[in-house]
Amino acid sequence: MSGLDVVLQQVVNGLALGMMYALLALGFTMVYGIIELINFSHFSVFMTGTFVGLTVLNLMGVTAVSRSLSGLSLVTTLIALFLVTMLVTGLLGVLIERVCLRPLRNVSGTAPMITTIGVAFILINLMLLTFGPQAQRFPSLLPNWRWPLMGTAEITFKQLVLFAVGLVLMVVLSHLVKRTTLGKAMRATAQDADAARMMGIDVDRVVVLTFFLGSALAGAGSLFFGLYYGFTGYYIGYTTGLRAFTSAVLGGIGSIPGAVLGGLCIGLTQSLGGQLIGVKWTDVMIFSILIFVMVLRPSGLLGVRAPQKA
Amino acid sequence: MRGLGARLGLDRWRALPLSRRRQILTPVLLGLGLLFPVLTGNAGNVDAAANAFTYVLLALGLNIVVGFAGLLDLGYAAFFAIGAYGYGIAASGQLKPEWSGFWTPLEWAGQVSRLVVPGQADSVQFHFTFWPMLAVSAIICAIFGMLFGAPTLRLRGDYLAIVTLGFGEIVPVVARNWEGLTNGAQGLGGIRTPRLFGFDFGFSPYPYYFLGLALVAAAVWISIRLQESRVGRAWMAIREDELAAGAMGVDHVHYKLLAFAMGAAVGGLGGTFYVAKLTTATPDMFTFPVSVMVLVMVVLGGLGSIRGVVLAALFVAFLQSVILQDLTEYVHALGRLVGSDALQKVELITSLELIFGIILVLMMIFRREGLWPAVRKVSALTREQQTAAPSRGTAVELGWARPEAAGGPGRPLLEIAGLRKSFGGVAAADDITLTVHAGELVSVIGPNGSGKTTLFNLVTGLIRPDAGSIRLEGREIGGRAPHEIVTAGVARTFQNIRLFNNLSVMENLLVGEHARLEAGVLGAIFRPPRVRREEQRAVERALEGVAIFGNRLLPRLDHPVYGLSYANRRRTEIARAIMTRPKVLLLDEPAAGMNPAETLELMDLIRAFRGLGITIILIEHKLDVVMDVSDRVVVLDHGVKIAEGAPAQVRNDERVIEAYLGRRRRAA
Repeated sequence: MSGLDVVLQQVVNGLALGMMYALLALGFTMVYGIIELINFSHFSVFMTGTFVGLTVLNLMGVTAVSRSLSGLSLVTTLIALFLVTMLVTGLLGVLIERVCLRPLRNVSGTAPMITTIGVAFILINLMLLTFGPQAQRFPSLLPNWRWPLMGTAEITFKQLVLFAVGLVLMVVLSHLVKRTTLGKAMRATAQDADAARMMGIDVDRVVVLTFFLGSALAGAGSLFFGLYYGFTGYYIGYTTGLRAFTSAVLGGIGSIPGAVLGGLCIGLTQSLGGQLIGVKWTDVMIFSILIFVMVLRPSGLLGVRAPQKA
Repeated sequence: MRGLGARLGLDRWRALPLSRRRQILTPVLLGLGLLFPVLTGNAGNVDAAANAFTYVLLALGLNIVVGFAGLLDLGYAAFFAIGAYGYGIAASGQLKPEWSGFWTPLEWAGQVSRLVVPGQADSVQFHFTFWPMLAVSAIICAIFGMLFGAPTLRLRGDYLAIVTLGFGEIVPVVARNWEGLTNGAQGLGGIRTPRLFGFDFGFSPYPYYFLGLALVAAAVWISIRLQESRVGRAWMAIREDELAAGAMGVDHVHYKLLAFAMGAAVGGLGGTFYVAKLTTATPDMFTFPVSVMVLVMVVLGGLGSIRGVVLAALFVAFLQSVILQDLTEYVHALGRLVGSDALQKVELITSLELIFGIILVLMMIFRREGLWPAVRKVSALTREQQTAAPSRGTAVELGWARPEAAGGPGRPLLEIAGLRKSFGGVAAADDITLTVHAGELVSVIGPNGSGKTTLFNLVTGLIRPDAGSIRLEGREIGGRAPHEIVTAGVARTFQNIRLFNNLSVMENLLVGEHARLEAGVLGAIFRPPRVRREEQRAVERALEGVAIFGNRLLPRLDHPVYGLSYANRRRTEIARAIMTRPKVLLLDEPAAGMNPAETLELMDLIRAFRGLGITIILIEHKLDVVMDVSDRVVVLDHGVKIAEGAPAQVRNDERVIEAYLGRRRRAA
């Protein structure tokens, strides 16, 4: 096994990991783009999504140890799984917005962000109390096809799916925000909610829709997490969440392509850095990136708007 | 409710002055604290209380950072960890460096000993004593507080919080991985317990209880002293409006770092105390949930409210150690009674973080000021005060002013030459040259967007000039920091009033005096006679400043300024600017939003300032006012000075009329 194919393998793994972070960062960054809220609860919604998906699968009689599905039954199961999970997490996001964040919409300062930390704690601990502290096995529905790339390096079907989904979502979301009426309403709300309201935009509806979309994306991300890694646990919202959050910050918080770029960078940092420096220092590397970006270039790699909110 | 309060004498209690209440409360609370172990007679409760004091220390420390200075720190547990490991490493056998002459003085002082193992090089055994380490840990934490705070200085709000979160994540990882220093995930063990006069604290909770009580008392005392000082006012000014604080002479870099350092130091005390009691330190004790727990305490008690934070920290600590466990037993008993297996298995302590989450959300939505916020004793206006005819300050007197400087243009005071500033290609100041003489009143007029406020921002250092010089009394002030320019003698008001909204009129004025006072941290804490006198004089001068406006502000001294009328807020802002004892006062549309009578009153006042020798530059849109009071009028248009001269002269200037009304189209 030469050094090069190890590196190549780490690059492939890192990019796949990065796409996972990107999926999470996309929803997070979209919410930030509209209401300038750093929404820590986004990552707990993601974590909750894995348990929703697990429950849905169990209800459909699919467990981690049951025989693998194939063909039509696999496709229908996946469709049902994604629809239900994304709907549930989307509604959870709407619930969080309506109950916890709308009363604080016009409160300046850090109060809304503190609220989202509270919401995150509530969700994390509800899942901990319901499903217990151990990691749960997540049924591995997708086929384990893999193709050799070079030497021992290979790429799996799941990784290809992740790339495809991440890139497609990035394009679709960019299109949504830049080219549709809803997107225009979103951007107007982001610029000046009061002015948008006076132009006849239903700001509440825009914000709710943004939360629904962002949380539904978190739900989709959670399913990819479960399908890709084959497990879930109450703590993944925190560990994965903070890395996804760093991705969004690195790419430029509020920027949709930035979320994907940031995710890929963080994924590569984690896999290559883990290989070169040691896995135990991964978090130090990632949080150092977070601090450096915040301090030296708060608008991130692709962000256009420097942070304004005091 | 009110009846009950009155029956209990609460009203009479509240009517007592704050200092008197403190004189009564301090011995009562201390006595209760000292008697608690006797009263409860239960070693378990004493132990819980001793642990709770750790949380109180942490909460008080975070309160300095978040409550006073408004800097949300989400990684505060880092300082708890650094303090804990600081003492833990110094008082355990973790590090065994090779012996050298460096250690001899420490050996002599009884802090280390020389370990002789046959066949190996001699090494050093650490056993630093607790008491000096308490101070050393606090200092180490203060240094780290500044290190972690320094990168956040330009950031605000959420972004600052994220950087602190990053540091809070990094510290436990380092503690886990740097095994040589910290013994990794297993943590430090065998940490020596404190000794006092040969008495070893050992493992009994009682000595720790009293030590903790003493530390908490000290932290409360320090917090109160800081809050009611020049330092505390500077922090609150930054919290309320950083930009205005700078324009009043507060150096935000200095005071933010100071807040991080003080907050971290108190957290370090907590960490040192905690490991000395526990005799072990592991990386898990300092993770994000701990930072959030401390934040919950501060939010629950009320940001900036010392008593609220202490009570909330005690509550949260007892919730964890006593209340939830007792409740669990009740639930189990209930389970046995009704024969429910599920109820008998409930462990409420596992839902502690859930409760934290719920507390955060509920407090943010319903009671952001906390359960027991810092009170602001506001005296309601009497009927007479409310209906009193406004009296003008008959004769404006300011002890520090130099009226002899008045009386017409003297030597050049403020010299602006070749000043340029552009924003993305638009020149807001294009080669402006202007000299203002001592005692003069110069007005700056011009259409909207002509660069008037930009000129003020350049002079006061809020924005840096691209080119050109600004000299005050011959000394260059262009490009200097706002607080330095205030100290040099330039003060301003803002077009869209920028007061410290949650502070009282008096506090706003005292912040205005910031640059003219000297008390630092130690002065604030120990309050020597020098500082005491300084504070007294500061209050006297603030009263002098309020008297400028007759009976307008006087009855409202202790009112928070957000409740004042528009005109009174303008007046407060002018008084605050005057408190900086300016040589040059820059007034940005002071008459905006004032009715004609108020405007006239203001004009009298401006003339009075001139009589006191204060040089004034005025931006104003009410041209009749400008023409009436000014010695000289400067007209700006598109960042260019297009005219300058006596009011009558400028009024008839062709270019001025053109700038205001547009070019007359000539018939071909």
